Amino acid sequence: MKWFVNLTTQTKLTLIFGAAIALLVIVIITARMGISTIEKSQKGIFNFEFANTKDILEIKASEGDVRLALLMMMSVSERSDKERWHQNIKANSAEIDRIQQRLAERNKQEPSILRKLEEMNMLRLAFKETRDTQLIPFIYQGRIAEAKNLALGIQSERFEKIRSITAELVRGAEEEAQRRITESELEIRQIAGILVIVGAIAAFISIITALFLNRIIARPLTEISGAAEKIASGDLTVNVPNDNRVDEVGIMAQTFCRMVENLGKQIRDIMEAVNILASSSNQIASTAAQLASSTEQTAVAVTETTTTVEEVKQTVNLSSQKARHVSDVAQRSAQVFQFGERLVNETIDGITQIQEQMNYIAETIVRLSEHNQAIGEIIAAVDDLAEQSNLLAVNASIEAAKAGEYGKGFIVVAQEIKSLSEQSRQSTKQVRTILGDIQRASNAAVMATEKGSKAVEASIKQSAGTRDSIRELSKSIAEASQAAVQIAASSQQQMVGMDQVTLAMASIKQAAMQNAVSTKQVEATVKSLQEIGQKLKRLVEYYRA
Amino acid sequence: MDKENKTSQRKDAKVVNWDELRRRMEKSRAALEHGLQPTTEEKNKTLKHRAQMLAVESKDNEAAEEYIEVVEFVLAHERYAIASQYVREVYPLVELTPIPCTPAFVLGIINVRGRILSVIDIKRFFDLPEKGLTDLNKVIILHSDDMDIGILADAVLGTHNVRLSELQAALPTLTGIREQYLKGVTKERVVVMDAARLLSDKNIIVHENV
Repeated sequence: MKWFVNLTTQTKLTLIFGAAIALLVIVIITARMGISTIEKSQKGIFNFEFANTKDILEIKASEGDVRLALLMMMSVSERSDKERWHQNIKANSAEIDRIQQRLAERNKQEPSILRKLEEMNMLRLAFKETRDTQLIPFIYQGRIAEAKNLALGIQSERFEKIRSITAELVRGAEEEAQRRITESELEIRQIAGILVIVGAIAAFISIITALFLNRIIARPLTEISGAAEKIASGDLTVNVPNDNRVDEVGIMAQTFCRMVENLGKQIRDIMEAVNILASSSNQIASTAAQLASSTEQTAVAVTETTTTVEEVKQTVNLSSQKARHVSDVAQRSAQVFQFGERLVNETIDGITQIQEQMNYIAETIVRLSEHNQAIGEIIAAVDDLAEQSNLLAVNASIEAAKAGEYGKGFIVVAQEIKSLSEQSRQSTKQVRTILGDIQRASNAAVMATEKGSKAVEASIKQSAGTRDSIRELSKSIAEASQAAVQIAASSQQQMVGMDQVTLAMASIKQAAMQNAVSTKQVEATVKSLQEIGQKLKRLVEYYRA
Repeated sequence: MDKENKTSQRKDAKVVNWDELRRRMEKSRAALEHGLQPTTEEKNKTLKHRAQMLAVESKDNEAAEEYIEVVEFVLAHERYAIASQYVREVYPLVELTPIPCTPAFVLGIINVRGRILSVIDIKRFFDLPEKGLTDLNKVIILHSDDMDIGILADAVLGTHNVRLSELQAALPTLTGIREQYLKGVTKERVVVMDAARLLSDKNIIVHENV
């Protein structure tokens, strides 16, 4: 039975209901067979006995109509009326022939009925012969009495005979029908018996399976629902039956078991979360209080900042004015520097002239030096002359000494000449010294001039440097001016920015006020949150996990 | 800026007075133009000086006893004198012609107004030490009855009268050959040479066959 238990419920139900449906199909087939047998016998009755009876009765009726028409022909005098009835007789007669033929055709298999029909047909043909050959011409000829005789005599006999034969045939058919119905009833009874047996088997199987299903499906479900009931009442310690089945019920039991475990775990988690929530809400409450105080501080700071921004604005205004002033000063300075550059250029020109003059001075001094040299040469010549004079004087004095007493006066003259020559030499010596001094002075002057020239060159360079510096300075001042203009512009922008800052501060202030309101709301919310936490805690404590 | 200040200060410190300068230039130019001719004052001064000189000379003459007249000259930074009676004249040393194959003291020969004289360097003759180059551009022409020679001198200082009594004995440092030719040394440390001996010295005559 284990294997069946482990089948899925769908398979179980399919199997059980399949068995029941198979039994039902057997019952239906059996009933269908019985019904078709009955239907066949009834169709036989309808097609054969009932049709025969109907045809025979129609023939009987038509014969009656023919007799009535003959009587009417006899009774009417007008020939046209006679012909009309004659036509009626002809039609009925043809109808009877057709039915007669149909009967013969149907009852080919039944010799007893066929014989009787043959007999009846013979009688009818004789009747027809007599009618068409004798009676109707008598009527047309007006021999009514003869016609009446004939009709009431032989013809009536013949008619009676036909009638008795038809009655016989009808009776036979009824008997046959009665027999067939009896057969059908027997059949029905047999089928009913079969149905009762099969139904009993089906009912038994159904009860058995119902009990079995109850045991393997309903009972575990009941147990699980009982457990669910306990869980609903907060007891999570229930023991859910679990026999390791692999069908839906088993899976459901296992799932339920897991669900209970998970639920317990979740309840515990929720418990923890509730505790955390409680502490968090406490923290939020304290934070909200801090936020409220910091919001107040923010408001104070914003007020201070707004004041500061006002001061900064004034400062920026001042700096803007200063920058404009600086720009003006820089422009004036640029003009001054242009003037200065011109002056420096003029200075350079002047210094260049000085350099030319210096060169001229140097050349002049060199020329002077050359003149000096010439003087020196002349002096050398004079020196030479003085020397020679000296010698001459010595010679003269020697000669005078030789002259003895007479030459004494001449000695004095000679000595005088000698002293003159000596003086000349002294003078030339002095001149030479002076010339040396002049030469040295010239050299010094040339050197000084050279130095001056170099200094002038340096001055030119310096002036050029100064000019460049002035240009650079001028450029720098132009840049400074531009920068000052930019500073002025940026100060303007700063002013705008400061206004915006003021606006922003105002909105921050507003926001701070809103913050304060919001903080109060937060405090209220936190309070309700704490209440919710308490409620949640109570709810969770309901479960005994 | 500092540099400019400095230069301006330097200029201030030494301002050139161009007018003063021009005046000085003009003065020196005038001096040059007139300076070659001595003024009357200068002339008078010179004449007066000469007169005084002459006056002094007469005094000497009166006091003269026995003295010799000498020609004083400088040779190798030492002052020498020779009696002027042996001196014919002094002459600048020009156109000296060196003579080969002569003793070292013979410098060469010169032409004095048509006469050929030999020139000797008494420094070498006396074996005096060479103390650098000296002028040696004068020739004192000595003469005696026998011969005329020229001796070299750096400079001729002039003629003097030297008292014989003032002459001191020769210095002991002057020895050898020089001692033979010395007459004495004056107070002014002038070495008075004996020209007669010098002229009569046989050493001075060169007889040499080459």
